[in-house]
Amino acid sequence: VHELSLAMGACRIVEDTVGSDRLGRVRTVGVVVGAHSGVEIESFRFCMETLLAQPPFEAAALELEHTGGDELRVDYLEVEDADSED
Amino acid sequence: MPIRRIEVREKLMARNDELAAQVRSRLAASGVAALNLVSSPGSGKTALLERTLSALCPELRMAVISGDVQTENDAERLARHTDRLVQAVVTGGACHLDARQILTALDEVDLEDTDLVFIENVGNLVCPASWDLGEAAKIVIFSVTEGEDKPLKYPRMFERSEVVVLSKADLLPHVPFDPVLAMEYARRINPGLRFFRTSSVSGEGLEDWFGFLRERVRDQATEPA
Repeated sequence: VHELSLAMGACRIVEDTVGSDRLGRVRTVGVVVGAHSGVEIESFRFCMETLLAQPPFEAAALELEHTGGDELRVDYLEVEDADSED
Repeated sequence: MPIRRIEVREKLMARNDELAAQVRSRLAASGVAALNLVSSPGSGKTALLERTLSALCPELRMAVISGDVQTENDAERLARHTDRLVQAVVTGGACHLDARQILTALDEVDLEDTDLVFIENVGNLVCPASWDLGEAAKIVIFSVTEGEDKPLKYPRMFERSEVVVLSKADLLPHVPFDPVLAMEYARRINPGLRFFRTSSVSGEGLEDWFGFLRERVRDQATEPA
C-alpha cells in the first residue's frame, strides 16, 4: 500500500541524479523490482507511470525488470544528452 | 539528440535506511533501547502500553512515539499514564511510520534521561515490515481474536520481529483460537521468536513482559555504544 511513496522516492533518486532542471530530458527510468521486495508491482507501475507522465517529467518511460530476490532499486536512466558534441 | 545511459543502482529504501542508521546511532550513544510495536489494528498495542507505563513508571524512564493515520487519540490515552513525553505522529494517510518521522520525534526526547523508547506503529501488518525505524527490535502484538494463521498470511512481519505478544489472553475461553497452533505457525516463519502471553484486562503474563523490558534496558545500557 506504500507504492506511491516508493514511486515518489524513485523519482527523487532520478532528480538527485540528473538535477531538477533536467528531468524533462529523462527518457527512460529503469527500476529493478524483486518478487520478495514487498511491492505490489501493478500498483507501483501505475504510480510510477503517473508521476513520469507529468511535469517536471516529459513523458519519461518506465522499464521494470523483475527478479526473484528482494531488491528494489533505480537501476539506470536514459537521458537526452544536450552536453554531448555528437 | 543522443541518449546517454546513466547507471544509478540506488536502492529505494536507501534514504530511509540511512536515516534509520542515524536513529540507531543516536539511541546507542545514550544507551537507549527502542522497541517498534507492530500489529494489525485493534490488537491491543495501546492497552499494553497503558499497562506498561502505569506499572513501570518511574522505575524505567520511558518515552512513547505513537503513530496513527488520523487522530492523536492513542497519544492522549497514553499521556494519562506518564509524566514523560508521549508524542503523536499523525501520518495523514500513510500506512506506516518512516525513519525520518522517528528522527524528528527524537529531537523532542531527552535521551540522556530516557531508558526506553516505544514506537507504536500504525496498525498494519504489511507496510511497517518494510521500514526500518532504527529500533532495537520489532515486536508483533498478535491478539487471540485474530486467526492462528496470521503469521502465514503476513510472513514478512513475523520474519523481521524478535518477539510475539499474544494479547487479549483473557478472551481465550470465549474464542476458538489455539495458541499452540499460532505459535507453531509463527515459529515456522521465524524459529527464533520469543513469546509472551498477556492480558491487559486481567494482568495475566504482564510480569513476564515487564521482565523482558527490564532485561532489554539492562542489555542496551551495558552495550558499548
